[in-house]
Amino acid sequence: MGMAQSYAVETHGLSKRYATGVLAVNNLDLRVRTGEVYGFLGPNGAGKTTTLRMLSGLLRPTSGTATVAGGAPGSPASLAQLGAMVETPAFYPYLSGRDNLRVMARYSSVQKSRIEPVLQQVDMTDRARHKFKTYSTGMKQRLGVASALLKDPQLLILDEPTSGLDPQGTVEMRELIKDLRQGGRTVLLSSHLLNEVELTCDRVGVIARGSLVAEGTVDELRARSGGQALLVRASPIDQARRMLESLLKPDQVQLRDGLFTLAVGPSQAAAINRRLVADGVDVTELRVAEQSLEDVFLQLTEKQP
Amino acid sequence: MIASLRADGLKMRKRWANWIMVAILLAWLVLLVYALLYLVVKTQPASLRGSQVPASVLIRQIFPENFIPTVLSTAASIGAAIMIIFGALSTASEYGWSTVQTILIQKPGRTAVLGGKGLALFVATVLISIAALAVSALSAYVVVTVDGSSSSWPAATEIVKGFGALILQLAVWAAFGAFLGIAFRSTAAAIGGGLVYLFVGEALLGSLFRTAPVIKDVLKLLPGINASGVNGAFRLTYTNPSNQVPLVDPTHGVITLLVYLVAFTVLSLLIFRRRDVGGG
Repeated sequence: MGMAQSYAVETHGLSKRYATGVLAVNNLDLRVRTGEVYGFLGPNGAGKTTTLRMLSGLLRPTSGTATVAGGAPGSPASLAQLGAMVETPAFYPYLSGRDNLRVMARYSSVQKSRIEPVLQQVDMTDRARHKFKTYSTGMKQRLGVASALLKDPQLLILDEPTSGLDPQGTVEMRELIKDLRQGGRTVLLSSHLLNEVELTCDRVGVIARGSLVAEGTVDELRARSGGQALLVRASPIDQARRMLESLLKPDQVQLRDGLFTLAVGPSQAAAINRRLVADGVDVTELRVAEQSLEDVFLQLTEKQP
Repeated sequence: MIASLRADGLKMRKRWANWIMVAILLAWLVLLVYALLYLVVKTQPASLRGSQVPASVLIRQIFPENFIPTVLSTAASIGAAIMIIFGALSTASEYGWSTVQTILIQKPGRTAVLGGKGLALFVATVLISIAALAVSALSAYVVVTVDGSSSSWPAATEIVKGFGALILQLAVWAAFGAFLGIAFRSTAAAIGGGLVYLFVGEALLGSLFRTAPVIKDVLKLLPGINASGVNGAFRLTYTNPSNQVPLVDPTHGVITLLVYLVAFTVLSLLIFRRRDVGGG
C-alpha cells in the first residue's frame, strides 16, 4: 500500500497525562513529511519516547489525534507500514537473533526469506545464531533495527538508536540510518544527541516539557534562535577592544583567549574590518561563527517555563 | 490470529522452561504415582497394614483399568500447578522482557496477539494431556506386566471422556496462570499468587472447611473443587472409604470450569486490550 498523504506522521493536539498525574506530552502538533528523515530532539524526559509510544499504538493518548502511515496508531493498517524500535530493543533472551526475527516475521506475516537480507543490512549475519542474551548493546540495537526493517516499512520510527553505542558503533548506526531512507522511506528519529540529528536529519522538531518548541531545518533553527556572530583576532588587543566597544555596544563584545566574539551579523564584517585597519589595528582573522546546534537547543529548551 | 499462533508456537517450542515443566509432570506421574505406589504396596509398611483396603486391591489403582482416574487425580494437584506456571510464564515473561511492546508494533492487533497466545496455550494443553495419558497408560501397562497380574483397559468412550476432562481442567489452570501473568505483569507474582491460591486457598482451606455450612457453598464455586467434581465421574474399580466424596457433581463441575475458562480469557483480553504498554 502506498502512502498518498504528504505527511507520514501527523498529530493534532496530542497529549498524554499518566495516571501519576504527570503531563508527559502536551498538545503536540507534529508533521513528518513523507520521505524525510525527521529528528525528534529533546532533553531526557522531554516526552520523546511517550510520543513515539503513542504513535506506535503502545500508549493511548489522553487527548488529541494522530495519523501514522495512513492509519490510526496501533491499527493493523498503520502497523503494516510501520517499523519501530521504541526505547531499548526487547527480544527473547533464550532465542538466537535469527529466531527472534523468525518470531517477529511470523507475527508480521512476513516471508522467512526477508530475515537474511535484513540481518545483512545491519551487519549481524555472523552473530545471528547466538542467543540474544549474549549480545552487546550495539548488537541489540542492530537487531532492533533489523526487526523494524522486516516489513520493509514505509515509515521507520527509531528511538535513540545510538544510545549505549561506542563511537565506532555510533558512526556505523548513523551510516545505516542514512541508508534506510532509500526508496522514499520516512524515518522519524528521536535523540537527545544534537550531533546525531545534525548529521542525519532533514528537519528537526525540538520538544521540551512535552511541547514542540521549534521545528525546521537545522539552519532554520539556528537563524531563528539568533543566528550568528563574528570572530575577530586583532592586535594590539587593547586598542582593538577600545575600538570595537566604541563601535558596538559593550555587551556585544566578548574577549576570550585573544579572540573577540562580536554579537553582530556577517553584514557588518566589512565595515568593522575597515574601521579597525583605518585605526592601525592589524586584523589577522575575521570569520563568521555559526551558533552550534547545541547553543540553539539550549536556548530553545531553556526558554520554556 | 494464526500468525500469532505460529509465532507463539515457535517461542514455546524453543523455551527450555516449558519442556522442563512437562518433564516434571511426566516424571511425577511415573516416579511418584506409579513407581512409588507400587513400591509402597509391595513392601507394605506398617501404615498400610492398617488400611481399610487390602494391598492386593489397592495396587489396582495403578493398573490399566484405573489409569484415567489416576492421571486425573495427578492433574488436579501437580498438573494444576504446572499449568498455572505454564500460563503465567507465557504472558508475564512478555512483560518481564518488555517483548510485549516489540510484539505489539508488529502487524496483528492486540486481540489477535492474545488470541494467538491463547490458542498456542490450548494446543500445548492438548499435547500435554496426550503425553500425560500416554505416559500413565504405559506406566500402568509396565506395572501390571511386572506384577504378573491381569487388568483390562477402560472402554474407548471412557478414555475419550477422560481425555476431555483432563484437557478442560488443565486449560482452566493454564488460563488462570495466563490471566495472573497479564494482571500482575510479573512472573514471580503470577506464579506465586497462583500457587498460593491452589495449595492454600483451594487445597488447604477446601479440605478444612468442606463441611462448614456457608463456606461449603462458596467452595462449590471454586475451580479446583469443580475439577474434583469432574474427576468424580471417573471412579476407581474398587471402593476406598478414605476417599473424599466430591462436593459437586460432574455436570456442575464441567459447567463451572467452562465458565472459568471463558471468564479468565475475557478478563485477560479486556486488560490486555486496554492497558498502556510502558511509560508512566
